[in-house]
Amino acid sequence: MGSIVLDKVQKKFGDVEVIPPLDLEINDGEFVVFVGPSGCGKSTLLRMIAGLEDLTAGKVNIDDKDVTEVSPAKRGLSMVFQSYALYPHMTVRKNIAFPMRMAKIPQDVQDAKIEAAAKSLNLADYLDRKPGQLSGGQRQRVAIGRAIVREPSAFLFDEPLSNLDAALRVGMRLEIMELHTKLKTTMIYVTHDQVEAMTMADKIVVLQAGVIEQVGSPLELYHTPRNKFVAGFIGSPKMNLIEGEEAAKHDATTIGIRPEHVSVSKTEGTWKGTVGVAEHLGSDTFIHVHNTGLDTGEGDLFTVRISGDIAVSHGDTVYLTPDMDQLHRFDAQGLRIA
Amino acid sequence: MANRTIPRLLQTPAVLLLLFWMIVPLAMTLFYSFIRYVLNSTVRPEWTTPSWSNWRGFGNYEFVMNSKDFILAIKNSLFIVGSILTLTVVLGVMIAVLINRSFPGRGVVRVLLISPFFVMPAVNAVLWINMLLDPVLGLQGIAISAINDMAAGMQDAPLVGWFFNLWPVLEPISFRATQTSAIAVIMMVTWQWTPFAVLIFMTSLQSEDQQQKEAAVLDGASRWSQFRFLTLPHLGRPMAIVVMIQAIFHLSLYAEIEIVSRGNGNKNLPYLIGEFTNNNIGAASATGIFAVILANIVAIFLLRAVGKTLME
Amino acid sequence: MAIVAKTSRFSKIAWPTLAWVVALIFFFPIFYMILTSFKTDADAVKAEHVFFFTPTLENYANMSDNYDYWRFATNSVITSVFATLFALIVGVPCAYAMAFNPSRGTKDILMWMLSTKMLPAAAVLYPMTFLTKNVFNVFDTHFLVIFVLCLINLPIVVWMLFTYFKDIPKDIIEAGKMDGLTTWGEVKEILIPLAWGGIVSTALLTFIFCWNEAYWTVRLTTIDAATLSKLIEGNRAPEGLFFGRLSAVSTAAVGPIIVLGWFCQKQLVSGLTFGAVK
Repeated sequence: MGSIVLDKVQKKFGDVEVIPPLDLEINDGEFVVFVGPSGCGKSTLLRMIAGLEDLTAGKVNIDDKDVTEVSPAKRGLSMVFQSYALYPHMTVRKNIAFPMRMAKIPQDVQDAKIEAAAKSLNLADYLDRKPGQLSGGQRQRVAIGRAIVREPSAFLFDEPLSNLDAALRVGMRLEIMELHTKLKTTMIYVTHDQVEAMTMADKIVVLQAGVIEQVGSPLELYHTPRNKFVAGFIGSPKMNLIEGEEAAKHDATTIGIRPEHVSVSKTEGTWKGTVGVAEHLGSDTFIHVHNTGLDTGEGDLFTVRISGDIAVSHGDTVYLTPDMDQLHRFDAQGLRIA
Repeated sequence: MANRTIPRLLQTPAVLLLLFWMIVPLAMTLFYSFIRYVLNSTVRPEWTTPSWSNWRGFGNYEFVMNSKDFILAIKNSLFIVGSILTLTVVLGVMIAVLINRSFPGRGVVRVLLISPFFVMPAVNAVLWINMLLDPVLGLQGIAISAINDMAAGMQDAPLVGWFFNLWPVLEPISFRATQTSAIAVIMMVTWQWTPFAVLIFMTSLQSEDQQQKEAAVLDGASRWSQFRFLTLPHLGRPMAIVVMIQAIFHLSLYAEIEIVSRGNGNKNLPYLIGEFTNNNIGAASATGIFAVILANIVAIFLLRAVGKTLME
Repeated sequence: MAIVAKTSRFSKIAWPTLAWVVALIFFFPIFYMILTSFKTDADAVKAEHVFFFTPTLENYANMSDNYDYWRFATNSVITSVFATLFALIVGVPCAYAMAFNPSRGTKDILMWMLSTKMLPAAAVLYPMTFLTKNVFNVFDTHFLVIFVLCLINLPIVVWMLFTYFKDIPKDIIEAGKMDGLTTWGEVKEILIPLAWGGIVSTALLTFIFCWNEAYWTVRLTTIDAATLSKLIEGNRAPEGLFFGRLSAVSTAAVGPIIVLGWFCQKQLVSGLTFGAVK
């Protein structure tokens, strides 16, 4: 079991309100990702759930029990830190055993669990090393191992992959997802990387300045962003947001069109522009177009994503045609117009 | 948890002890500095017990400020502290730069250099004033008389004799005398504290930005320019800290002065306080308050410098 | 050094040589003291025996008869060890609380503690003498010397430990909390093992400072609790009569500390500058 309910939780540091009163429900077995730009309060929120941060007001319920005043260790949660937070003076074995030792679990049970965890995390050969002798990925696995053996009702991950290099990150992402499929335990995962959020989550919580902008499945967020912020934050490259005259044509203050929902032609189309930079990735081509005459904000930049390769280069004139079915419309408050 | 009690509780013993240590004696000193209070007086026996009825206002302060020894002590304190600071900083920077490179035996050089700092002040003073500086029996006396003997012996020699006839007979210097005892103190304390400056400057040099230096080399800066425009500014802060920490320590020099000359012509404020304490507690306390004020002036700057790095 | 500059053969030899010369000059007084300690009192003042003499151990052998060395040394050991111990017992919890549960006042408390270190001792000479002699009746006792040494070093102890503790990642302590550590468990399982090096060097440095203290140990003792500082100070002016034996007792008084000092010269910097120079 591992359902978590946040009831009007609020956090102030001194007079600064980091998180205004906020409600959130996380169901048992869900993989929930908190995503948002840095400083949006996502880590603070996670730490409040963990019990590492006091609540200024509100309640945290785990499995229908109020745990607001319960110490971190007694909440039955495991946390994996960004810095891994391994105990540097203990071997891998002792690191993994540590929470069980604290809980006074019999030695033979401990040993069995360590063996199992080490096997599933490919750590069997490293059990007697100290964290300092391990690579970043291995340390991350040890941290996960330490979290698993407690058999928590939920796992909390605080940006666990951001200290790893790009290649390793993709691998670890898959491992964590496989772990979730296997254990079916609730996981709450904090990241600033929307790609991680989109690929891993059952449910994404988008935060900005401590406020939940939207909660939904990755595809919901992609297809029906509730406001301009979510629209801009989810998706890569970013959605093109157009204001002014062109938006007014669609009865909106702002219209949005994702780069992948625009087609490019050298001869004809709705909008005309000049190619600034074309990034040829082979599988895709990102074209950054200037001088479209559209009000796209400061950079005068319109981004297009084409599947496959297309022969355009700097200075070429191109014509752009948006897929009207995929147009997003927002009102003056930035909210989505249905 | 919202519980701040445990952290507070853990800090309490240290805070209370230091509070007691600071406030009680200091408050007493402050009180005594405003009353007439002497240990022995046949004429005015009522002054031998501290009491509000012996109130003297700023009388003790006036008395102290008008005493010849006070001016002497202040001047002498500044002379000693100023000289030590200048010497240790200059020598410290030079030596730190000198050994901030790898060469054979660098570890041993470091160990040899740092050693004087761990010599207890009493031994430092006894060693210097007796074994090294004694005008007759110390190394100084021995060396000077050896030179004199050699010169005298050579005066009859053929060819070069006239040359040694030109030599004056060297006089050894007595460092216990009124005029020279401060010099002896400066020497021994500089010897002891230069290693401290070296150590701090070396630590600081090691954190110097090497890429910045490489950039300077590419920009065509000479060794001297690198030192002048990169290293020296980099050492500015440690220099300030070395100066302030030493100032605070040396303003309360005591053992060295006591051992070298028993304050003969070479008093500083702590020594003067010690002398007053033999009888005139009022004056001793007023002098003490002066010393506290003097130390605080330095301490404010030091604390400000230290405070900046505190929470980083 | 990362800079590959052209160094002439001259500077390759000259600078290290100069460094060695400077180091030897600085060490010379100590060397001369040790040398003299192996001379008879008569040899110690003779020009022909400055460097060439028949070494003797009699000065060391007679140290107890001449100076009652061991009594003073025992006092120095007892007071320094216990003062260091108590300073740690009081300082560790304080620094721990400050490093891991800092409040807005923490910085001010630390600065204030440091400022107590800067008060000139002489200013409170009479009150201290009066209090210890007439009020608490502890003058010239081990207890008093330990108490005073502990207090004058407490700010440095707290300060040094604070800088070491602050370097321990907060994440690790939090991981410990998640894993079920109590406050005491945090200290025992994480803090002390991780900061062990720092605690040891703090202890060493405090011990050195206690050993070398020369104001209160001289002023607040007469016989019973007098330390080596007092012993040497009492034999300040032998008028050239006893250079040999005086050198021996001085060497015995500073030798162990110099060796200890070699082991903690790195920590010395942070300890003496209150972490302001890194």
